[in-house]
Amino acid sequence: MTEALVVFVRAIISFFSLLIFTRMLGKEQISQLTFFDYVNGITIGSIAASVTTDLSSKARPHWVGLLTWVALSYMMEIITMKSRYAAKLLEGEPAVLIMNGKIMENVMRKMKLRAADVMGLLRNRGVFDLNQVDFAILEPNGQLSVLKKPEHLPVTPKDMNIPVQPSGISTELIYDGIIFEENLRQLGKDRKWLMEQLIMHGIGAAEEVFYAALNPGGSLYIDKYDDHIKKVTDIGDFKGPF
Amino acid sequence: MRKFMVAAIPVATLIIFVLVMISGNFLKKPLSGDDDVPGSIEKAIRSVNNGNWEEAGTAAEQLQRAWDKVVSRVQFSSERDEINALSMNLARLQGAIIAKDKSDALMELKEAYEHWEELGN
Repeated sequence: MTEALVVFVRAIISFFSLLIFTRMLGKEQISQLTFFDYVNGITIGSIAASVTTDLSSKARPHWVGLLTWVALSYMMEIITMKSRYAAKLLEGEPAVLIMNGKIMENVMRKMKLRAADVMGLLRNRGVFDLNQVDFAILEPNGQLSVLKKPEHLPVTPKDMNIPVQPSGISTELIYDGIIFEENLRQLGKDRKWLMEQLIMHGIGAAEEVFYAALNPGGSLYIDKYDDHIKKVTDIGDFKGPF
Repeated sequence: MRKFMVAAIPVATLIIFVLVMISGNFLKKPLSGDDDVPGSIEKAIRSVNNGNWEEAGTAAEQLQRAWDKVVSRVQFSSERDEINALSMNLARLQGAIIAKDKSDALMELKEAYEHWEELGN
């Protein structure tokens, strides 16, 4: 019997169990986690680690513990999704910290926040002057949503009556030298059109292109393998091993 | 079909994991003639009780061989502490047989049986 072999098998069990369970729990990610979700995640990870390396006990009880935590988390997700009352109770609700430019001291006390904390959260949102803030709302995930006063909001093309190109998501046409025929078809284009575009950019073959995408406005972004950059900008501030 | 596979593969994987984790109870049972640990323990107890130390020595060796076979099968589903404890019992049993110490040999055999019962449960 080798301990390493047992740990290897147990690691496979806990790794794939964790993968399957977390996929079951859904797409809620770090940025949307409440404090409880965060602690929950740490606990689940810790139990998974025990499944792998705690050879002094069987894998089964740890695995049952893992399953129970995941099942409870899943149950909580379902409950908070179905019942708004339960969601308010279990996940909390947004708290208005600044209303009409005025700081809500009672809410701050309830949220255990100091003025310095609020200023820090505002700075994270790019706001350095309280005079600019109309509303500031602390979300259940701990992030601050800020609505600036109208006079401090940036000007948009609509304000200036400037016509704009329609925006949207670009479609990949070439990646790693391979043309995506399906995407071309969806855009109503063909290989001939793409080759003409490439020739216009001084490219003879799709194999020379690392990435090409077309945006809804009709402009084509092309990146070649050969970048012709003579002087590479180095943002490193320390001469390390690389 | 694709949707079915997306659900079936994780479920099948979890079932395999559970089977591996509960396999100890099944895999500790004798699967061939020379891996009967409880049978070997009983045989050793009889020999020690009769004071037949030569036969007890043979039974202890047979027990050791049976245990070595079983342990490779149950290691993934059992506590390592339990496995180690049973291995220690067998080592001490051999010492007790050499010393022809009946009470010590019986104690080790009974304790080994207790660990065996707990193994994989």
